[in-house]
Amino acid sequence: MAKSDDCVHILQGLLVFGNVVIGMCGIALTAECIYVVSNPHGAYPLLKATENSDIHAAAWIGIFVGLALFALAILGIIGVIKASRTLLLAYIILMLITFAFEMASSITAATHQDSQTPNVLLKQMLERYQKSDPNNNSDNEVTKTWDELMRQNHCCGVNGPSDWQEYTSAFRDTHSDADYPWPRACCVLDAKGLPVNLDGCKLGVSGYYNSNGCYDAMSGPVNTHAWGVAWFGFAILCWTFCVLLGTMFYWSGIEY
Amino acid sequence: LLLLLLPAAHGIVEVGPRPALTREQLEGVTTASTFVLDQPRCTFKDYGDAVIWLVVALDKGISNFNSSAGPGTPETAFQSFPESVSAYMTLNATLDSYPCPKPAGDITVLRVGSETSCAKDASRPTCNGPLPGPGPYRVKFLALEGSVPVAETDWSKPITLRTAKSPSSIPTAGSGHSAGMIAITAILSILLAILLAALVAMLVFCGSDSCGSSTFSKPESVTVRRYNTHHVYDQPAARL
Repeated sequence: MAKSDDCVHILQGLLVFGNVVIGMCGIALTAECIYVVSNPHGAYPLLKATENSDIHAAAWIGIFVGLALFALAILGIIGVIKASRTLLLAYIILMLITFAFEMASSITAATHQDSQTPNVLLKQMLERYQKSDPNNNSDNEVTKTWDELMRQNHCCGVNGPSDWQEYTSAFRDTHSDADYPWPRACCVLDAKGLPVNLDGCKLGVSGYYNSNGCYDAMSGPVNTHAWGVAWFGFAILCWTFCVLLGTMFYWSGIEY
Repeated sequence: LLLLLLPAAHGIVEVGPRPALTREQLEGVTTASTFVLDQPRCTFKDYGDAVIWLVVALDKGISNFNSSAGPGTPETAFQSFPESVSAYMTLNATLDSYPCPKPAGDITVLRVGSETSCAKDASRPTCNGPLPGPGPYRVKFLALEGSVPVAETDWSKPITLRTAKSPSSIPTAGSGHSAGMIAITAILSILLAILLAALVAMLVFCGSDSCGSSTFSKPESVTVRRYNTHHVYDQPAARL
């Protein structure tokens, strides 16, 4: 009997440890998802305009899942120490529900990365940047966001200034190709916001215009967030799986 | 004799090299309505008094151009190109603008099509206006002393400008799912399935008091429940 007592204590210890880790990871997941939701990274209006805010849905689910994990971990610790069948059964069932939600969040965040291709942003930029419709608020948002993005990150277009040459655009409808081969925001600007060398910029002399595309600057932070939410969630779920299996084994061994 | 007379009557010397798109690394070498040529440095160095003009024509219209046509006339006006005028003349400069040799490191180019203000102004027939289509165009330089042409280059190779596509041609269909997303979905689905199966097995086999009573013992305070009351009755019987 002494030997199986030791086994029991070891199993209890492992389960308590497992639940402590789940609790801490739940808090970390909540913190990470709050950061993703509230982080005012500059490209959000563009994402909103493309109706691709999967990452935000995933993060919101993550916040509540994280809190639930923390609460359930405490319930689990109490249940293991008291060896109570009812508590542990409630713990297992609620944990399975949380598992399903976190699974949804993790898959949504992983899918977001796939659907965010440069072409979607390129099409949106060409169709809406500098579209001269004063009534449409979201088009003005798109224009302002792109201007700020291009000025701050010293980039031009999605893939490069050639975007403006390869495709017609709302910008091209109002700005002639000879005067504006690409928008003025693509030029290297001085402190007053005027091009350093306008002719150099129009010709495309390196040093007077921004030759690289903005896609890396835009998608970088968002993809990192999506990656974080997806894979951290996946890691927590793998750990939770082990703890749940252990708990089920423990539950089935508790005397009635 | 007649053949010898003809060149003498014309008197135009052919000089080289022919105009070409600039070799400099510029993003805007050709756009939808402009293109950039190298300046004709050292090409006309023997003609110090001449004014050098650029003649622009469509590839199919070069045979209609007469070198004795004058610049600034309706026959060579930019505004009528290409409907009624087969070639227009623009970008005039004296040799001082093209000093020879070219200093190393300088970018010496001519941007054809950069003047938008005079594109519709009929009073400016020598306007360097934006080109009306993708071409292909051919250009040559012509040196005039007064109104007499004295030297010219050969026609350039055909220059085709960029054509812009419509944004609706951009494919935005999803590019398929990445390996990471498939891995996450598959593994998590399997884990959830295993957990549900284990839960069902656990409830079915161990739902009632049918397993594990000898494996784990509960904490001390609970064993009081297992106390069999019939011992109390037995003891008095045994004592007697």
